[in-house]
Amino acid sequence: MLLPFLLALHAVVAALLPPLARVLGTRVFVVACLPPALTALWVLAHAPDVVAGQPVTSAVTWVPALDINLEFRVDALTLAMVLLVSGVGAVIFGYCARYFHTGERGLGRLSAVLVLFAGAMLGVVSTDNLFALYVFWELTSITSFLLIGHDDRKEHARRAALQSLVTTAGFGLPMLVGFILLGQIGGSFRISTLVADPPVGDPLLPVALVLVLAGAFAKSAQVPLHYWLPGAMIAPTPVSAYLHAAAMVKGGVYLVARLAPGFAEVDPWRALVLTFGMATMVVGGWRALRQDDLKLLLAYGTVSQLGFLTLLAGTGTQVAATATIGVLLAHGFFKSALFLTVGVIDHQTGTRSIAALSGIGRRMPVVAGAATLAAASMAGLPPLLGFVGKEAALEAYLPGGDPATALPSGAAAVVLVGVVLASVLTVGYSARFVWGAFSTKDTVAERRVPRPAAAFVAAPVSLAVLSLAAGVLPFAVDPVAQGYAAAFDTSGEPYHLALWHGLTPALGLSALVLVAGALLFHRRVTVARVQQALSRWPDADRGYHGVVHAIYVVALRVTRLLQSGSLPVYLGVILATLLALPGARLVMALASGDVAPPGAGGNELRFWNTPLEGVVALLIVVTAVATVREHRRFPALILVSAMGFGVAGLFVLYGAPDLALTLVLVETLTTIILVFVLRRLPATFGTRPDGWAKRLTVLLCAAAGTFIAVSLWLMTAARTDPPVSLGYTSLAREAGGDNLVNMILADFRALDTFGEVVVLATAAVAVTSLVLLRRSRVVEETDPGPDETEEERAGARTGEGERT
Amino acid sequence: MSTREENGREPQRGAVGDGAPPEGWEAPRERWLSTVVRPAFGPRSVLLEVATRLLIPTILVFSVFLLVSGHDQPGGGFAGGLVASLAYVLRYVAGGRRELAAGMPMRPEALLALGLLVACATAVAPLLFGASVLEAASVTVTLPVFGKVKFASFLLFETGVFLIVVGLVLSVVSALGARMEAEEEEVRIVRARTTRFGRMRGGPR
Repeated sequence: MLLPFLLALHAVVAALLPPLARVLGTRVFVVACLPPALTALWVLAHAPDVVAGQPVTSAVTWVPALDINLEFRVDALTLAMVLLVSGVGAVIFGYCARYFHTGERGLGRLSAVLVLFAGAMLGVVSTDNLFALYVFWELTSITSFLLIGHDDRKEHARRAALQSLVTTAGFGLPMLVGFILLGQIGGSFRISTLVADPPVGDPLLPVALVLVLAGAFAKSAQVPLHYWLPGAMIAPTPVSAYLHAAAMVKGGVYLVARLAPGFAEVDPWRALVLTFGMATMVVGGWRALRQDDLKLLLAYGTVSQLGFLTLLAGTGTQVAATATIGVLLAHGFFKSALFLTVGVIDHQTGTRSIAALSGIGRRMPVVAGAATLAAASMAGLPPLLGFVGKEAALEAYLPGGDPATALPSGAAAVVLVGVVLASVLTVGYSARFVWGAFSTKDTVAERRVPRPAAAFVAAPVSLAVLSLAAGVLPFAVDPVAQGYAAAFDTSGEPYHLALWHGLTPALGLSALVLVAGALLFHRRVTVARVQQALSRWPDADRGYHGVVHAIYVVALRVTRLLQSGSLPVYLGVILATLLALPGARLVMALASGDVAPPGAGGNELRFWNTPLEGVVALLIVVTAVATVREHRRFPALILVSAMGFGVAGLFVLYGAPDLALTLVLVETLTTIILVFVLRRLPATFGTRPDGWAKRLTVLLCAAAGTFIAVSLWLMTAARTDPPVSLGYTSLAREAGGDNLVNMILADFRALDTFGEVVVLATAAVAVTSLVLLRRSRVVEETDPGPDETEEERAGARTGEGERT
Repeated sequence: MSTREENGREPQRGAVGDGAPPEGWEAPRERWLSTVVRPAFGPRSVLLEVATRLLIPTILVFSVFLLVSGHDQPGGGFAGGLVASLAYVLRYVAGGRRELAAGMPMRPEALLALGLLVACATAVAPLLFGASVLEAASVTVTLPVFGKVKFASFLLFETGVFLIVVGLVLSVVSALGARMEAEEEEVRIVRARTTRFGRMRGGPR
């Protein structure tokens, strides 16, 4: 199977695009078209098999020990998603070649990231492994971050990109936890296995599902996490069309639809999906009605449709599943067509504001026709695909279905009301879109705008025509829907996507929706007034900023609390912790007799092995006491190093020349380096603690010293097993060295040493950059602002930590 | 400071009274180091400069000795690296930051990178031959002068450690010592300029 190669092709083409962009200009997008177009063709070639219920699979082992493999599986749902991701994607990439101007900034990067995004999205919808799905999922988060923040010189764009990344990737983490739980309790990380044989009844399953749904909801912009989607409209319009109509936001819907056959019956699933889906649907539609910017109108419309899709995908009945595929495809086609239309209008007129556009319909009749067609599909007008999908959706919640598989009647009634309400709103904003974009308004002065080129208009027109064709010929789409819906059991005849089902209640509801929607549009002035009155609703965007700000404030407070900047306080906290936890435990163990002080057997306390030790110990004690009593910095430093040399002497006496050598060298070096620093500090220590502070310090230090001495004494005597080093002598000879210490460092435990030298190198880079950071400030020390001093203090503090 | 630099060959006389030796009495008459000497701390000293000149090659050779003899006797890459970097620190103390820069084989960051590269390569190379990470291999050959000599792969690894240690110390010294020295000098220059301007403005016309 070719899929892994197609994925690799995306990556390779993405790597080639930036240099190509310098030569080709905007035509680079034609090259960018190639990978998604090939993928779409490939999947269409396999469509007959897939629809017949024979998924195409392939696997590449990646981390077999952790059950992480790149397994791919293309079934009916994946087929529908690939058609959107790659098929619609290829059309949009072609459109980009006309939308952007040659010489625009960052074209190479934009095209490369778009192709990478297409590849990652393809991975999300085609992989069959939970971990691989997560990796691809986060790849889409990162690439969409880069795409939304394409115009990186605008602060607004950067903020929107960060917001989307924080939301989608932030909720991706609980999703990962959910995946791991799911895999652990299900015994497999393969999605198809899990869905076919769900671990129903496990008490952890609901937890896992809630976590997974959280990630899916954030990705699909469900209320109250929908704020990032309108914000992301700062991206170039083709990017919005691709991310928000065809690909990225469908990721969450895809995940819900993917898991629904196995888990829709498990408890909080339906409650969550139906509640959040319905809330999103209504809130999105309501907010779309009052937007002035055409793109924002579409963005809130997308939020509404995503709620609708999540609701359908998560319901888990045969009819709802059929409707899911219908609405999924319909939304992909009409919404991208509409976004691209807005792109054309923006490109030709330079504005997207309803209040500034007038007479566009007369100047661009083809565009207007295509947009009207797409908007009609969005509103659910026959004979378009949107109508077919909505018909199926209404049917899914109508009473009178099969009692064994249907929803509880109360829930179904509530959902039906919600769907009808949201559909009315959808008709309202669809009409508003067409009116706002193309009508001739008396209040607005008409402007002369150039007609768009035919190739530019081709993309939205072709997508709109696709909506019409798929609506007129529903039997082209129906097999895909049946292929997916077959996973849900139905006792009677399966529901099919069709234009005409007879005079059903659903048809009546559709008509009602259209009439009510038309009324809503007709009374738009009244609606606007009501919206004005209700505009004091809580704003999710403000909620996001509140959360981010709260985290920032808490972090700042914690830092202020813990990082007092005083070395004595830091040391005091460390020593107090040492005494409070292991120290208290040791005292308790000694008191209760769990740990006996070593007695006979060569372990009893001796004064010294050789009197020489006594001399060295005396040196250490004298220098230590002198250090504590010394008031000047420089002599104190010299005394500390003298003490270090004394310790090195002890090492020599105990037969560890290697250790002694290293210690002497390190002591020498640190002394010299500290001298560099001391030149900058006052010659004597500042105020020293007095009274209680002094007594506390002395007590703490004495207790810590005693604890360490006693525990060392106990520990060396507490050996129960033979030392691990016994075999080292022969091993060292075998490895070809006599110096055991060095053999351990460079051979037996070389990996540890490797880690340590990496730490050393990192520390070196860190010290250098910290000092560099301070540098610019020292020169300007004549006039430090309040912020600067704060940062400088922080820098000095960290630097001190490195040194000691 | 500037007078000392300009009259490096001529010791200053009679600058300070009351029995103390004249400033710069220790300064050497010959040139012992490779740059115009401006020590990191205090005045120039003939003793320090001569000792530096004579000792540095010996110290560096000793550091290499420690490195290669490490697997049979005390020493090894870490100790060797510390000794080698002490040679550079000595040079800095005697001759200041210009002297340190003149003596460095390459930038400390490059040394760090090279060391990491060598260590990584030694770690990964056995994988190419189907062995596990960091697996050691050694070859014993008979060379004409040295007799039987053993080459072990952990010597390469130790070389990486050696380079990283030298890079670490040099970057700390050049950051904490040399850069601070440069800053102080800059501040001094700025101050000197402002006081000169002040005098010009306030002086008699």
